[in-house]
Amino acid sequence: MGKYILQRLGQILVTLFVFQTLLFVILTAMPGDVTNRMLTNPDIPPEVRERTRQALGLDDPVLVQYGRWFQNFITGNLGVSYSEYPTPVIEILEERIPRTMVLFLAATIVQFVVGFSMGRALAWQRGGFFEYGSTIVGVTLYTVFTPWFALMMIFIFGARLHWLPLGKFLTPILWRKVDIPGMSDSLTKANYVFTRMLWTATAAFVIWLIMAYFTRNLSHTKRNRTRLIATVIILAVSIGGWAMVDIGPLAWDITKHMILPIVTLTLVGFAGTMLMTRQTMLETLREDYIQTARAKGLPEKLVRDKHAARNALLPVFTGLIISLPSVISGGIITETVFSWPGMGLTLLNATTQEDIPLVMGTLSFIGVLSLLAHLVADITYAFLDPRIRYS
Amino acid sequence: MNNTAHTTSSAPTSLWKMRLRLMRKSLKTGWDIFKENPVGMVGLVIIVFFALLAILHPILMATVWDPGTYDPITGYDFKTLIHPSPPSWLPQPDNPMYKPSFRHILGTDPLGRDVLSQLMYSTRSEFLLGVGAALVTVLIATTVGAVSAYYGGLIDILFMRMADVMMMLPFIAILIVLSSLFQFKMIHLAIVYGILAGFGGTTIVIKSQALTIKVKSYIEAARIAGGGDGHIIFTHLVPNLLPLSFLYMMFTVTGAIFSEAVLSFFGLLDIRMSWGLMIQTAQAAGYLLNSWKYWYLMFPAGLSITLLCAAFYLVGRAMDEVVNPRLRKR
Amino acid sequence: MSKETPILAVENLVMHYTTRKGDVSAIDGVTFSLEKGHSLGLVGESGCGKTSIAFSLMRLLPDNAKIKQGSIFIDGEDIITMSYDQLLKFRWRKIAMVFQAAMNALNPVYTVGDQIVEALDLHDMIKNKAEAEERVAELFELVGLDPALMHRYPHEFSGGMRQRAVIAMALSCEPDIIIADEPTTALDVIVQDRILREMKKIQQKLGMSMIYISHDIAVIAEVSDHIGVMYAGRMAELASGVDIFERPLHPYTYALMRAFPSIKGEKHDLTTLPGEPPDLLYPPTGCRFHPRCPFATDICKEKQPPFENVGGEHYVACWHPMEVHNDHH
Ligand SMILES: Nc1ncnc2c1ncn2[C@@H]1O[C@H](COP(=O)(O)OP(=O)(O)O)[C@@H](O)[C@H]1O
Ligand code: SF4
Ligand SMILES: [Mg+2]
Repeated sequence: MGKYILQRLGQILVTLFVFQTLLFVILTAMPGDVTNRMLTNPDIPPEVRERTRQALGLDDPVLVQYGRWFQNFITGNLGVSYSEYPTPVIEILEERIPRTMVLFLAATIVQFVVGFSMGRALAWQRGGFFEYGSTIVGVTLYTVFTPWFALMMIFIFGARLHWLPLGKFLTPILWRKVDIPGMSDSLTKANYVFTRMLWTATAAFVIWLIMAYFTRNLSHTKRNRTRLIATVIILAVSIGGWAMVDIGPLAWDITKHMILPIVTLTLVGFAGTMLMTRQTMLETLREDYIQTARAKGLPEKLVRDKHAARNALLPVFTGLIISLPSVISGGIITETVFSWPGMGLTLLNATTQEDIPLVMGTLSFIGVLSLLAHLVADITYAFLDPRIRYS
Repeated sequence: MNNTAHTTSSAPTSLWKMRLRLMRKSLKTGWDIFKENPVGMVGLVIIVFFALLAILHPILMATVWDPGTYDPITGYDFKTLIHPSPPSWLPQPDNPMYKPSFRHILGTDPLGRDVLSQLMYSTRSEFLLGVGAALVTVLIATTVGAVSAYYGGLIDILFMRMADVMMMLPFIAILIVLSSLFQFKMIHLAIVYGILAGFGGTTIVIKSQALTIKVKSYIEAARIAGGGDGHIIFTHLVPNLLPLSFLYMMFTVTGAIFSEAVLSFFGLLDIRMSWGLMIQTAQAAGYLLNSWKYWYLMFPAGLSITLLCAAFYLVGRAMDEVVNPRLRKR
Repeated sequence: MSKETPILAVENLVMHYTTRKGDVSAIDGVTFSLEKGHSLGLVGESGCGKTSIAFSLMRLLPDNAKIKQGSIFIDGEDIITMSYDQLLKFRWRKIAMVFQAAMNALNPVYTVGDQIVEALDLHDMIKNKAEAEERVAELFELVGLDPALMHRYPHEFSGGMRQRAVIAMALSCEPDIIIADEPTTALDVIVQDRILREMKKIQQKLGMSMIYISHDIAVIAEVSDHIGVMYAGRMAELASGVDIFERPLHPYTYALMRAFPSIKGEKHDLTTLPGEPPDLLYPPTGCRFHPRCPFATDICKEKQPPFENVGGEHYVACWHPMEVHNDHH
């Protein structure tokens, strides 16, 4: 397995290199240069532009610039944003990356779990209403025009039913009412609360993993029951803890803003997983070891849940890995429609304002995020498939 | 064996004739399998419907629709100005938009342009975009796949790593940046999307298919007969890859139309009318989150994008069953 | 046969597969029985319905299969009319199977040991984990596998090892009957031979009954007490191994034996039987063998020959049994 992971890591690094080169090519091929836009921003004095030109070495040979491009990327020196002058790009990204990560992780995990469970259940239905119904709903959600769908979600659940906020990250009035010592503006408070929420989630996840590790040897039904109970307890404790502190309502406010984007992304994403799970289950059910399981006297439910589903998980998970970029694309679109201030919205705003350093920095990190997700998924896959784990 | 060699070298016309006959036959059997698949047929019907819309638009413009009123981009219905106190089906002074009526079946957009005309007009460019991008993809993927499989070695490694890169990165992010930095028109988008998709996942699938064909005996026969590499690749390998390429064309069409819609929704494309732009116009004017009253701004374009994307995807899936017998039901 | 009630009795079994093109008559009136501790070999070309019979015996047929007629008694109970819950208890405990494609009969994501324990656990053969491991070790030793291998995954096993593991699994619940459907076809000849011999030894040691299935009469000749020759969904001939070899009555049996080298290794003239078994969507009228039979007459085309005892528990379904044409008898 070590070899497999090293190989994947190598592949990812090569990809990163090619991607960065691609970005550099785009940047160099672009009409005008990076500092063109500085002319139109009244906040930026003209001599700054000249200084920047020199600092960036825009008159150096292309190869020298190429080398420096990599050096800057590795050291995190991504320049200064024009639109939010003079904030360094890396600082803007540091603030936005976690927000995107949360959206991405939550949506990916939820859509995979929901899609897989539904696909597994659908494999029981051959022909008739359920087969065609699920295919139609699945394909529609799979190909639905995401921005439009997101708008519909806002329209229905936000504008009409008033269940959830219309978008953005928080409700400012609420935040002004709660004091956090040493913090004045809501943005600082928001980052403070959000960071703590992230830590809670991470801790809960680690505890869940440890629990899953210790329950791995239980029998199938017993393991599922224990894990379900433990999950409920972990969730109850973390949510209960937050409910008791005074910044709890603030956390709830952020969560409320998060629900609709996550639900939207999940709905757009789960259909692909569902259709694929169903297809794979039907193929897996034709395998010889399924016959063996039935011959042993296993009831049909166990044959499917324990033998077929566990094997179907492998190709479906591969499907998830392949679809990761499109999940990220969906995330960018969703963030924009919901005004969720993450990487996607930042990319779009930076693009329309021609804030080139921020555009390149954001795109770089969306690429990095994408590759990291790939690597994590690849390693997870290796754990799921004993043929890789023990080789 | 001798016979094959003879045919290959001296009578290419008869070889092509034979191939055409075979192709017609396999198209027929393919169609017979395709017909059985209700999902694929639904897709096909939707595509035909939109194709009819696209064809109908210039005809309507030339006959019943007055260009000044119904032009999808510059049209404006001045009728409202003539009426000092318009009846309820005409736009009111406080809101100059037409509601759906016989005159404007899907009403007009906030700028007074006929929605149905916009919808039909855009259909044609969506088709051109989709097919254009798909052709570029197929051209690249088939050539690269065939060459990669045929030569192997360094060329293969290079192309496959490139495919990895394309597959691991979110297209939309790259397209957002490219389209705004370079002022894309429809044609640029078609080419760029075609390139991105062509060097990506499609290549990998086509290459693995090409590998299975490469070892077939007729390739060996052609080589013994003295066929050059280029000759073998383009007369023996590529024709056998076309069914699979054609299948992946369908998925490229879906992707291209979707990307165009997203980019025009963000206002990043240098185009004057498209489904994505229609939604953007309505949203920018604040009509989308308003109430169900403006359904004619909300639904036609959004549903069209979804339906056409789904249709090509469905046809692709049905064709998948034709090309990969493994997926067929017993 | 003998006075004792047989462990397995199949009576006039008729089974069809429904397909889009029509019904496939895969089993058409098959009757045989098997006594405790004995072994039966089923032989016939590929597509003759052997696997269909095996799957019927476990009621493990695919959804499109319909048992139209007949009964299958195992240890006195008819499994065709049995409830699903009862069937689940019956499978593996009473009748187990070594599958045709034994290479893929193990689930790749669970260890080999766990897959055996699963069966033991299901049929309450063990109380706890220690006992389970002990039992698996015992089974591994019985089939000639190192017990340390039980925690390994199937992909770490060679073909022969997997085959042994599958046999160990079939033995795990001490079933009355084991069906081995082409158990060794995927293996090379030497391994094939050794595994079959060992299976026979285990069968005799544990005193269970065995059904061997093969397309190659030579493979099963050595291990089966009785041999049933199947053709196109019907039993052509059924007799003791000795009778089948010394006194084959059905032209198909005769053809099968001439087509394959005999057990003694001496080569007959290999005049293979021309043609292929019929497509059972459109089975031939009368005797299903008539299109390929050199002795076919008009009656063969019109009327189905009865499956009759010609004396000494030797059954045959033919209008013109071979002895008539065979000079040396
Ligand atoms: N699931 C099925 N559906 C339709 N026909 C089948 C099915 N399984 C087997 N058959 C047909 O039934 C006949 C007997 O098959 P099988 O029992 O597998 O024969 P054998 O094991 O002797 O090779 C063959 O003609 C085969 O094509
Ligand atoms: S019944 Fe007739 S056709 Fe059938 S095996 Fe006997 S002789 Fe041949
Ligand atoms: Mg068989």
